[in-house]
Amino acid sequence: MSSEAFNPNPTIFVPTKSKTAAAFLRSNSLWLDDGERHGDAEDYEEDSDEVEEIDQDEIFELIRSISDPEHRSMTLEQLAVVSAPQISFDSADAQRQSRRVTVEFTPTVPHCGMSTFIGLSIRVRLLRSLPNRFKVDIRVKPGSHQSEHALNKQLNDKERVAAALENPALLEVLEQCLAGATP
Amino acid sequence: MSEERIERLVRTWIATEQQEEVDAAVAELSSGNASLLPLVKALGEYLTSEEDDQRTKGVEFLSSVLARFPREKLNRQSVRVLVTFYCGKLEDTETIIPALKGLVALVAAPTFTSTDAVEVVRALFRHVKMKVLIQAQRFLVFTIIDTLLANHREAFKGMVKEFLDGYIAIAEGEKDPRNLLLAFAIARVILIEFDISAHVEDLFNITFCYFPITFRPPPDDPYGITSDDLKNALRACLNATPSFGPWAIPLFLEKVTAGSPVTKRDTLQTLDACLPVYGASMARTHARKLWNTLKLEIFQPTDPETEAKALKSTQILIQTIYANGADGDSQEIEGLAKEACEECLRILKEPEKSQAKPATKVLCAFMSTTPSVARFTLSQAIPHFVRLFLDPDEAPNRAPTLRLLSDVVAAARDSTLKDLEVLDEDEEVPLSPYKDEVLGVFSVGLKNSVTCKHALEGLRNLVTTHGLLSDEELGFIVHSVNEILLKEGMEDDDIGEGILELFIAISTTAPRHVTETTLPLLFSSLPDRAPPRSADADRLRVWHILAFLKKLCIQSDLFEMFVVRLSTKLDLVCTPRTAAEGEESDVEPSAAYAHSILRTLADVLAIKVDKEHPDVAKYIDRLLPRLYHLHIYSALSAEESQAIATDERLVAVSAEIITLIMQVQTAQKQDAFIQSLFAAYFEGQASQIADGQPKLPADNSFKPFEPQVDPLQKHLVPLFSAAVVALRKEVAFPTENEGTVLHSLLLWSLDEAQTSLQRDACNHAIGSVVNKRAEGLSSFLSEELDTFWSANIADTSVPAERRRNAISAWIWIAKALLIRRHSTAMSYAERLFVLFDDTEVSWDAARAIGQIVRADKVLTKRNHAVIKILYAQKFFNALLPRIVEGAKAPGDPRRQNAYLVALTSLIKAIPKTTYAHELPTLMPLLLRGLELPDPEIRANVIDTFLVTADPDAKEKSAISEHATSLVHTMLKNSMVSQQPSVRLRVSALRYLAKLPSLVRYDVLHPQKATVVRELAKALDDPKKAVRKEAVEARTNWFKFSG
Repeated sequence: MSSEAFNPNPTIFVPTKSKTAAAFLRSNSLWLDDGERHGDAEDYEEDSDEVEEIDQDEIFELIRSISDPEHRSMTLEQLAVVSAPQISFDSADAQRQSRRVTVEFTPTVPHCGMSTFIGLSIRVRLLRSLPNRFKVDIRVKPGSHQSEHALNKQLNDKERVAAALENPALLEVLEQCLAGATP
Repeated sequence: MSEERIERLVRTWIATEQQEEVDAAVAELSSGNASLLPLVKALGEYLTSEEDDQRTKGVEFLSSVLARFPREKLNRQSVRVLVTFYCGKLEDTETIIPALKGLVALVAAPTFTSTDAVEVVRALFRHVKMKVLIQAQRFLVFTIIDTLLANHREAFKGMVKEFLDGYIAIAEGEKDPRNLLLAFAIARVILIEFDISAHVEDLFNITFCYFPITFRPPPDDPYGITSDDLKNALRACLNATPSFGPWAIPLFLEKVTAGSPVTKRDTLQTLDACLPVYGASMARTHARKLWNTLKLEIFQPTDPETEAKALKSTQILIQTIYANGADGDSQEIEGLAKEACEECLRILKEPEKSQAKPATKVLCAFMSTTPSVARFTLSQAIPHFVRLFLDPDEAPNRAPTLRLLSDVVAAARDSTLKDLEVLDEDEEVPLSPYKDEVLGVFSVGLKNSVTCKHALEGLRNLVTTHGLLSDEELGFIVHSVNEILLKEGMEDDDIGEGILELFIAISTTAPRHVTETTLPLLFSSLPDRAPPRSADADRLRVWHILAFLKKLCIQSDLFEMFVVRLSTKLDLVCTPRTAAEGEESDVEPSAAYAHSILRTLADVLAIKVDKEHPDVAKYIDRLLPRLYHLHIYSALSAEESQAIATDERLVAVSAEIITLIMQVQTAQKQDAFIQSLFAAYFEGQASQIADGQPKLPADNSFKPFEPQVDPLQKHLVPLFSAAVVALRKEVAFPTENEGTVLHSLLLWSLDEAQTSLQRDACNHAIGSVVNKRAEGLSSFLSEELDTFWSANIADTSVPAERRRNAISAWIWIAKALLIRRHSTAMSYAERLFVLFDDTEVSWDAARAIGQIVRADKVLTKRNHAVIKILYAQKFFNALLPRIVEGAKAPGDPRRQNAYLVALTSLIKAIPKTTYAHELPTLMPLLLRGLELPDPEIRANVIDTFLVTADPDAKEKSAISEHATSLVHTMLKNSMVSQQPSVRLRVSALRYLAKLPSLVRYDVLHPQKATVVRELAKALDDPKKAVRKEAVEARTNWFKFSG
């Protein structure tokens, strides 16, 4: 990897709040939940057949902790490369089978040579973590990168993604980034 | 006569070389005139023999004797003779080694003089060639020099050049760690005590050549020398003289720049030790280079540890340079501190960038250097941040600006913390001059949701700065924060958390502001009536306020107010409301509201009991009567639909509160309370424990244990047992025979109790009394329980439900006896095996085996239970063989399964260490347990596997041979299509995630493709919690490679 950093002093953003506040609401009951004090801490509602759909937040949860290849101690979220609102579902297929997701990301500088790698790491994480019926499009935010078109094409080309993963050196760095930031 | 004997000894020794002769010779000589001369005389022919071997032996014997000879008995004459003798023997290559041994003993003699010392040293320097000696012999040389240097230092100072030249030649090239430890000690003495001006470079060479120490002790090193021993000893040399400075600093810089992280840290630490010795002018000369190197480690850190060390070194550097900066002198700071400070401030013009953080760290580090540098840094940094904050162009960066300013405030606070004692009362706190502007900036920051979190943190750092803020200013802060408390504070978790921490910090010194303004505000925003069912937002707000109060009101003043206000609120909520015309009365929201208030009370109490706050005890008079009144009044009030406080969920929480308060009472208090409690529950005198408005009816109608009583009253039995379980063992029931009371409770739980809460409450009370007072209960424990067993458990004509309940009671009695290791405990447990054939209750009996030994929240130390150690161990060892045998025995599959159930429940209940050594035997049985139809049992088995999974014991574990079948079973149990239990799916996936770390790759490799493919299905699980585990598991399998 080049020794010259593409962006040696990037701006840091405060991470968006995780929605812990909603924990109260989710129980959706009149009663304050005191399950943690009785028996096991994990109290699953065994009998509920309610299906919890995969949503924007759950997908964001999967990619927020990936570390930046140039600044290993920082996550993509801290550098605002990814964010929850940049994940969208194709509204056309509201039915359950085969859903299309678009994940957009923003390189920190327009000449960032790491963008392909960042896109690839998002791609791999989602390949491993989403059910097969999800089709994922990964693209850079329009206007945020000088070779936007080529990047988008490369990231959504199955053959090229597969070829990249054949490279053991690349795969090793990729696994490190996927393992998350080490502050 | 003695001479003859000595001669004989000498001859014998020369022939045999036995230790006995040495000892005998020592004894002989020291009992005589204590002169060694007879020995020398006797040895004469050997000492001068032409034969090398004879000479060596002669000197060897002399040295051996000398080593054991009492030193104080050596007279001057002998020493003199021996010195000359040994120095002569150093010339002789055959005798040099025994001569060194002799000298080690000789130089320590009290009559050994400085003249001798000079002679010995000269002989050593002249004749000893270190390169031809082995480690042990070189060690002798170092020992001799070390002893000489300790006793005759002054003599060597007269011959500095000769001594140093000689010693340097000796020490050069030494490599053995044992010798080096001595050599470093010698070097330190030389460097400190001697005039080394002519030898600095040589001495530098023989010490710095070892830096940095990379020694790693061999696995079972018998000498126990660690790398740190050497590092410390060497460091003590390197910082022994300022003369090393000019050579050392460039070397350090090189090592920091180019070394491994370990070397970097070692070098930085050494630098810390050396810089102050090398002195201010040396530090100043190299200041720029040092700073440039350190800066790199701070701004592009290798790892957090090295970064911290680099910051530390920066502090030492600054301290060294400005050490004599005449404190209190207001002179302008020049040089490095100024330049570095300005450099950081330049970077801090962009507070939002990633380099701003390390720049602030440097400024913070400056705060703990010298007072003048700290003052200078503050005078630069704080106005800078304040300017940035107020600059309209920088408005988007206010959040990072405040965060960094808050860090600086914290650093300023901590810099004075350390020398609080030396700080005079009237001496100014460093932050004082900037207090107003900083306070102003943070107050403005509060008003914006983005900056609020950092403003709160900054305020907290100001508040915790000792002696900075006045009481008025604290009041102002509380007032400002109150303004955002009810809105932002309740909506945003981060802000709520920040406010809490700030208030908690203020309450430790000035609780008045919080109790006078904040608490009333919070309590008045809690409604007197429950929000209606549909008002989700209101309810959420109530919960937020309660959650906030729960964390805030732990300090005793705050807690007192909290109890008063909440119990009043409870009365209001629970008082039946005269329903307005046409309004449908809905009591559940009220009950739920009351429950959340009680829950909050219980939680705070639990925290206070944990922290052993003394004020908890007084609430036996202040809170308990009101609680009992609340519930009893409710149970006695006529309308069933309005009896809010008889709701079981409320009762359960009140029971917790009662137990918590009872736990901390003295035996005397408990005794008085239990009398009233019995009067209330058995004699109809409820007013003995209940107090409040409106008054209870005077008809003594509260009789919860009577048959045919209003079922609402039965709900309050748990409040009776909540007090009983916390009794100390010396507190007796106010009755003649405790056994009778227990027996009637036992029967009540079977005949009268309507809910499991009531039954459990009875069982807990019985278990608790049996545990603490078993001595006086022999008739209850034998006869009455025998009858109970045959009538309610063994009898198959009894309804199964009743038998199950009876087994539950049985469990508690067995448990109570087991944990105190009562002699009869095992017999209670063993009776359960009889039921394993039973068609109805076999699994209940089997599960009971584990439940008996499982830790619970009733029979605890806090509740004054009698607990003997290792009871679980004993129980396990006694029952395991029987269970294993039963599970393996051919025959009725029902019975076999019952044994498997017993095994899984037993293992789930006891600590891992108790059964870990049995795992290889248990594995096959546990795997069979995975085939049982009950998902809970399967989940328990998997949890056991998870607990026992030890990635460090890959080779030894019993898992490898079962790996394939484990993989398939886990996959089966993790699919929603086959397995409706969420808990089981989660456990199975967790285990799958762990397998790659437990089993070698070559064993699991054939499964990888299957697992990865199958887990893709689990990724589509309808439950989020399951999907999360599936992602984790699948990721681990993807990464799993050879």
